[in-house]
Amino acid sequence: MTGIQAVLLPVGAEVYALGIDWVREVVAGPEVAPLVTAPPFVVGLFNLRGQIVPLFDTAALLGVGRADPVPGAAPFAAVVETADGLAGLAASALPWRSELGAASGPSERPGTAGVHRDGDRVVVLLDPAALLTPERLRGDAREPAPSGAAPWRP
Amino acid sequence: MATLTRDQIRDLFAQEAAGRLTSLDQLLLRLETDGADADLIGSLFREVHTLKGSAAVAGLDDVSTLAHELEELMGRVRSGDTAVTPDVVDVLFAGADRLRAAISGEIPPAVEPPVVTPTVRAAERAPLPTAPPPPAAPEPAPRRPAASDGGVVMVQTERLDELVRMLGESAAAHLRVGRMLQDRFGLDPASSSEYNELSRFLNVLQDRVMRTRMVPVSTITDQLQRAVRDIARAQGKDVRWEVEGAATELDRGVLGQLSDSLLHLVRNAVDHGIEAPGTRGADKPGQATLRLHAWQLGSDVIVALTDDGRGIDTARVAEKAGRLGIDTSSMTDDEILQLIFVSGLSTTDFVTDISGRGVGLDVVKTRVEAARGRIEVRSEPGVGTEFRIVVPITLAVLRCLVVEAGGRRFALPLHRVVLSQAHDASREIQAEGRRVVWVGNEPVTVTPLADTLGLTGEPATGPIVVLTDSDRQHAFQVDRLVHQTDVVLKALSPLLPPLPAVAGAGIEPNGSIFVVLDPPGLIHRARHTTRAAMPAPVAATRALPTRHVLVVDDALTVRELQRSILERAGFGVRTAIDGRQALALLREAPADLVLTDVEMPHMDGFALTEAIRAQPALANMPVLILSSLARDEDRQRGLDVGADGYIVKASFDEAALLSAVDRLLGAVG
Repeated sequence: MTGIQAVLLPVGAEVYALGIDWVREVVAGPEVAPLVTAPPFVVGLFNLRGQIVPLFDTAALLGVGRADPVPGAAPFAAVVETADGLAGLAASALPWRSELGAASGPSERPGTAGVHRDGDRVVVLLDPAALLTPERLRGDAREPAPSGAAPWRP
Repeated sequence: MATLTRDQIRDLFAQEAAGRLTSLDQLLLRLETDGADADLIGSLFREVHTLKGSAAVAGLDDVSTLAHELEELMGRVRSGDTAVTPDVVDVLFAGADRLRAAISGEIPPAVEPPVVTPTVRAAERAPLPTAPPPPAAPEPAPRRPAASDGGVVMVQTERLDELVRMLGESAAAHLRVGRMLQDRFGLDPASSSEYNELSRFLNVLQDRVMRTRMVPVSTITDQLQRAVRDIARAQGKDVRWEVEGAATELDRGVLGQLSDSLLHLVRNAVDHGIEAPGTRGADKPGQATLRLHAWQLGSDVIVALTDDGRGIDTARVAEKAGRLGIDTSSMTDDEILQLIFVSGLSTTDFVTDISGRGVGLDVVKTRVEAARGRIEVRSEPGVGTEFRIVVPITLAVLRCLVVEAGGRRFALPLHRVVLSQAHDASREIQAEGRRVVWVGNEPVTVTPLADTLGLTGEPATGPIVVLTDSDRQHAFQVDRLVHQTDVVLKALSPLLPPLPAVAGAGIEPNGSIFVVLDPPGLIHRARHTTRAAMPAPVAATRALPTRHVLVVDDALTVRELQRSILERAGFGVRTAIDGRQALALLREAPADLVLTDVEMPHMDGFALTEAIRAQPALANMPVLILSSLARDEDRQRGLDVGADGYIVKASFDEAALLSAVDRLLGAVG
C-alpha cells in the first residue's frame, strides 16, 4: 500500500503534516510584517516574489496555544495553495518530507484528518480544505478546544 | 493566411453572439418600456437577422433555425401584422433566452422541438390592438467583421490583473534602480533625464492600465432590469425600473463582486418588497417604483436600491430573532432592522419573506464586505425600503502618506488626509475628557495612532495627521511623517478575517510590506476606543425637557448621522426623506426645530421652509438648512424663504451642528 507523501511541520513540541500536493514551497525566515488589529492566529504578512501572503500561527489556528516564541515572526513558513489563494503555515523548525503510513487513529481538532505514526513521533495530518477557509478564519466555524482533551504529544 | 478552423469560427461567433444577445435584451427591454417604434423594431430585426446569418456561417443550423423563427415574428411585427403585446414581448424574451442557451450549449437545440413558433401562434390568437403603420422595407443587414464593433477587444480579467501586478513590480523595480544609482554611484536619479522619462511613462502606463479595469455601472443594469421585468410579469406586478448614475465607473472586479448581491436585492424587492396588485396603499401610485441610483463620493461608489413597497416589518424581525434567542427588548427599531443581516436569522422562513429565493441577506453582506464595502438598510413600514452599498472604486492604486507610529510604518490614503502639521502641545485643549485641536474653526479629537491600533511603546510626540471619512474628521498623532508615495494597493487575502481599519497592503522598493490603513474604519475605531476610555456620565446630561428635532434628508447616511449626533446630545429625533413627508409629520406633531437638506425629491428644502412659514401653527418653528450648496445665492435664497440658519455640509461637523441647534433653540426657548 502506498503511503501519504507529506511535508512534516514542527510546531513547538508537536509535529503536523501536510499532504505534499498542498505545499507549494517552504520559505526559510520570511520577513514578516505584523498585521495590526488582526487576531492572534495571524502572524502577519510576507512577500513571496511580489505576492502578499498571510502567515498563520499553526498552533493558534488549531486552538492548541501559540507556538511562535517571538510574536510576529516565524523561522519557517510552509506555503499552502488553497482555493482562496496562498497561505503560510508557520513552523518552528525546518520542515521535512516523509511518507506517512495508514492513520493510527482519528484526530480531534477541526481542520485535521487523522493521526499518523512517523518513527516514534505522533503526526497530526492537517486538512487545509477545512483548516484554511474564509468562513473558519472569520470565526464562524472555529471551534473551541474540546474540554479535557489534551493535545497530542510526540 | 491560414483559413480559420471550425473551432475558431465558432469562437468568433460566440464573441459576436454575446454582444448581439446583450443588445437584443436591451432592445427588448426598451420595446417593453417605450413601446413599438419603427427604428427600434428595425434594430431588433437586424440583430436577429444578423445572428441567424452568423450562426449559419458557423455551421450552427439549429441556432440559425431558432433565430429564423424570431426573425419571422419580428418581421410580422414590423409589417404591422402582429402588434406588440406583453405576450409577444414575453415570447421574444423567451426566444432570446433559448437562443442564448442554444449558443452556450446548455440545451441541445437539435433534439428539442422549436418553442418559439407555437407559442407565438398562441399569443397571436389573443385580440391584438391596432397595428402600427408598416415601416419601410428593411435593407439587408450588412455582415460586419467582428473587429469592427467600435474596435473593442474582449480581454480576460485575469490578464488585466496580471498587467496590474506586473506594473506594480515594474514601479518597484524602477524605485530600486533609483536607490541603486544613489547608493552605488552617488547619482541623484532626479538629475537623469532617462530616469525621469521612465518615471513619466510608468505613471502614464499606470493610469492607462487602471482605466482599462474601470467599467460603468450600466454594465450590470440590463441584467437587473431583466430580473425586475421577469419577476414583475410573473407576479402580475406593475413595477417601474429607474436607473440614475448608470455612467458611474468602478473597478470591474468590484462591480463583478457586487452584481450578484444587487441581483438578489432586486429580486427580493420585486418579489417581496413590492405589494401584490390591489394591496398597495391608496395613497401610493398603482405603479410601484424600484430605483437604482449610483454615484461617486470621493474614492467610494455608493449604489442605492430603493423601493416604494411595504417596507420591512420590524415586529416580525424581532419575533423571529427572539426564537433564535436574540434579546431585542432593549433594541431600537433600527437595531432590530439590522438583524436581517444576521446569519441564521436570514435563512429562516421569515427571511424567505424578506430576502426570498432562499438567499440570506447575510450572504449579501458577506459578499459586499469581501469587496471591502458595507451595506446599510433603512425601511419604513408602508413607505418602502432602501439598501445602500458603499464600495471603493478600485482596490488597485492609491496615493498615500506614509507615517511611522509605534515603531512601524503605515500608509494613509492621501484623499482622506485633510492636513498634517507639527503638533503644538500648547495649543491642545481638553473637551469632554478628550484631547482636542482646532482645525480651522472646528474642534477635532486627537488620538495617538499607535493607541488606536493597539500598539504599545513610547507616547507619540510627533506631528498630527487629520483624516476624514464622509462625515467626520479625526486627528491622529504619529511618531513622524515619512514621505508620500503611490501605492499599488494589494487587497488582503480573503482568508483573513475582516479588519475594518486596514485597507490593504503595499510593497516597499526593498521588498518589505507595509500596511495601508482605512481612514473611515480607523476613525470609527478611534472614536469607539475614545468613548470606551471616557468615564461614564454620573448624571443625566440634560435636565431640561426633551427637545424634538425633525431631520429631513433623502440621503440615508446623512440622515442617520444627524440622528445619532442629536440623539446622543439628548434630543428626540424624527426623520423624513423629503419635504412632503416632513410636512405630513409636522401636521401630526410639531417639532422644536427642523433640520433640512435642500436637494430632495418631491419637495426640496426651500419649498419645505416656505410651506412651514405659510402655516400659522408652524410659522415660528426654527428651520436650519444643511446643504452642500455653498454659493452665496443659495445661502441668500435659504434666508429669503425664511430659514433661521444655513450650514454648508462641506464645513459640517458634530460640534458645528450642535452649536447651531443649541443657538436656535436657545433663541426661542
